Amino acid sequence: MLTQWLTRFVQLVIVLLFLSVVTFVLLKLAPGDPVLAIIRASDGALSQADQEVVRESLGLSRPLYEQYGSWLLHVVQLDWGQSLTSNREVWDILIERLPATVYLALGAIVVLIVIAFPLGVLAATYHNKAPDALSRMIALLGASVPSFWLGLILIYVFAYQLNWLPTLGSGSLRHLVLPSLTLGFVMAPEYIRLLRAGLLETFSHDYIKAARARGISEWRIMFRHAIRAALLPIVAVSGISLGALLAGSVVTESIFGWPGLGSMAIEAIRLRDYPVVQGYVMFCGVCFIAANWLSDAGTAALDPRIRMRKGRRV
Amino acid sequence: MKGGSDYNMFGKRYHKTVSVSWIVLVFVLIMTGCMPDDKRANQTQSSAAGTGQDESSDSKAVTIIHSLPVDTLDPHLGWIALRAGVTETLLRLDDNMQVTPWLASKWEAKDPVTWVFTLRDNISFQDGTKLDAAAAKASFERGIADSKALAASLKIASIEANGQELTFTTKEPHPAFPNELVHPTASIISVAAEEAMSKEAFNQSPVGTGPFKVTAFVPGKEITLVRHDSYWDELAKLTDVTIQFNADANVRTLAYQSKQADIVYHLAPESLERIEKDEELTVQSVTSLRTHYFTYNPASTNVADLRVRQALDKLIDREAIVKEIMLGHAMPANGPFNATLPFGNKDAAQMLDQAGTLKLLESVGYTKGATGKLEKDGKPLVLKLIAFSGINPELPLIPLLLQSEAAKVGITIEIVSVEYPGEYIKNHTDWDLSTASYLTSPRGDGGSFLHSAYVPGGAYNPTNIHINNLEPILKELNKTGDVAKRHALTRHAVEVIQEAMPHSYIVHPNILVGIHQRVSNWKPGAEEFYIVTNKMDVK
Repeated sequence: MLTQWLTRFVQLVIVLLFLSVVTFVLLKLAPGDPVLAIIRASDGALSQADQEVVRESLGLSRPLYEQYGSWLLHVVQLDWGQSLTSNREVWDILIERLPATVYLALGAIVVLIVIAFPLGVLAATYHNKAPDALSRMIALLGASVPSFWLGLILIYVFAYQLNWLPTLGSGSLRHLVLPSLTLGFVMAPEYIRLLRAGLLETFSHDYIKAARARGISEWRIMFRHAIRAALLPIVAVSGISLGALLAGSVVTESIFGWPGLGSMAIEAIRLRDYPVVQGYVMFCGVCFIAANWLSDAGTAALDPRIRMRKGRRV
Repeated sequence: MKGGSDYNMFGKRYHKTVSVSWIVLVFVLIMTGCMPDDKRANQTQSSAAGTGQDESSDSKAVTIIHSLPVDTLDPHLGWIALRAGVTETLLRLDDNMQVTPWLASKWEAKDPVTWVFTLRDNISFQDGTKLDAAAAKASFERGIADSKALAASLKIASIEANGQELTFTTKEPHPAFPNELVHPTASIISVAAEEAMSKEAFNQSPVGTGPFKVTAFVPGKEITLVRHDSYWDELAKLTDVTIQFNADANVRTLAYQSKQADIVYHLAPESLERIEKDEELTVQSVTSLRTHYFTYNPASTNVADLRVRQALDKLIDREAIVKEIMLGHAMPANGPFNATLPFGNKDAAQMLDQAGTLKLLESVGYTKGATGKLEKDGKPLVLKLIAFSGINPELPLIPLLLQSEAAKVGITIEIVSVEYPGEYIKNHTDWDLSTASYLTSPRGDGGSFLHSAYVPGGAYNPTNIHINNLEPILKELNKTGDVAKRHALTRHAVEVIQEAMPHSYIVHPNILVGIHQRVSNWKPGAEEFYIVTNKMDVK
């Protein structure tokens, strides 16, 4: 058990190091300059010479490896640095934005489950019949519709035409509905297809046929036997989805003015606020890895064969 | 048997997992359902229902949506604290963009580097402490330490505080010093309050002298304000204000159409027709202090001749840009400052003149070749134009219109879209003209922009444009404190710039602000400084 955890920890460190190097280099190679934000704030008062002084004081004129080394040295001491635009601690900014993202993630998961499970089960139960076609059509629609467009349509219908829900913001269940629907609907198709395929495959197994031969009800076969087996690929994929949700949805959060990590990231990228972007990417890395661990644990809990091989999948 | 045992064990575990999942789901629903319902949301809904006010008779609330999300309310690092009516400055701009007293009742220049301001005696911060010269000095010292931009614009060498008299000594003659003090980042804050509550807490809820206090701030989302009942001037008419942020123009517009907000900044021009059908909703289109322009590459041989630049200037169809691209919500530009400003160029902007373009280019030696393209020494006139790829929707379209007009007279324009034109043109020489867009007179004075854009090394002069005849005018401007004389010098400077034509000014875009009929005593200003005021009211 200890070896397993140690291995995972080493993997985590390697992935995060790799991620930090790639992000750092890409950020520096991308056009843009964090000093531009300061120039904008000054409305032109900062001459080019003053800008150089600012760049120097922020350490942006140093060689890339030095900048990276300095950043890494601080991070290992749990100092994530300060935002270049607001002078606030990066860690404080991330932690402040996390709860909103978690709420939205939970809302999206609820929507995803409500959409994907009934449709997946219906599609498999009525294979090649009307409900299956309907389910596939909805899945295709969800996979094809861009989230920004869906978000705007939902706002148009539910906030503008019907005036049932707020257009933007957060803070109540009513605010959560539209962004959750947007995010959940766009994520659902993958799970509808996985569940349908998993159930169809399970239905072809002998033990299901035997259960049917014994006269066990379809309802019982579905919910006591088939779904359990069909859940395995879903749980495996859910790690990636959960990681993505915890990293924040840039588009959905931006459209709905949702104060989560996604909208923070897009603003930090726009302003080339390097420490915030770097901190966000590292945070996302940890979320993805943790979500994958959770998914592995879930898969092991569902399938005794994986448990018996000490977590190693075959 | 063994298999059966495993099966049962697996089954129990499975049921346990399902049960836990359901519990988690129910918990999530309960948690989200039990979250405190946003007070402001209720207010905006009541507004949407047309009540116009809260149920309590003396409570008046307004919801404003702005386009720029903010992560901090630090008054020295951004505009929002002043915009929200939380902080104020020593001086302010009036409707005519003239500098007038605010926290300071009067000021005078003792000599070119010494400025004395007398603060009003009846002002307290929102924490109850008195605003005196020592408190104002502490505020400026904090601002200069935290904001390099503020330090660069104020150029303060020393500050002396004596009772209500605040004396600044600048590092060099700084006749536009009073104009610099109207900038939102020169806000006066209570440093004592910051010391008492920690910097982090202060930047979430700054303490100033304004008519409203911050009650809540969610970074990137909204600021909730409540009336400051001990405000030194006329008490605010409104009791509560919410400022929300959303960067998407379509969402802001839908929020306005849904009547979930009373004032919405930066509406999408294409949505105005729909909005104007609703009698409760109005839109004000205010000419901004921003100017879109083309800057010519001083290192390019293609546009080195003044006549070529003048020829290109005649190809800019400003009227079409205003009418077709910006749907009437812009003003054709004939200089860096809009014509409504006291130092703006009042002459009419250049109209599209293809014949004039051809005449000028022929005088340079260009003739039409066999393919109909303009050529000189057998070489066709091909220009590279650097265009913006984002933010202002009209900016990528303007180069396309110029490209189309240029093609009609035989000039080929190749457009390259980049995210940061300023950075591109600073680091490359392979271009002929580039789009640019700046706020040219945010402080009610043109001096700052003239120095930034036309003096080598200026913030907005990445190619180090230099105009010989302009130098003595700017030197004179740097010595002149008299406002009328400064305006005259600025106008003269613009004439000289137009003669040299390092830039072709295109348009001054308008700010489109949706204002619900219930809002009274309020109109948007071109400077976009004073959004929440003590005078704004609801019917």
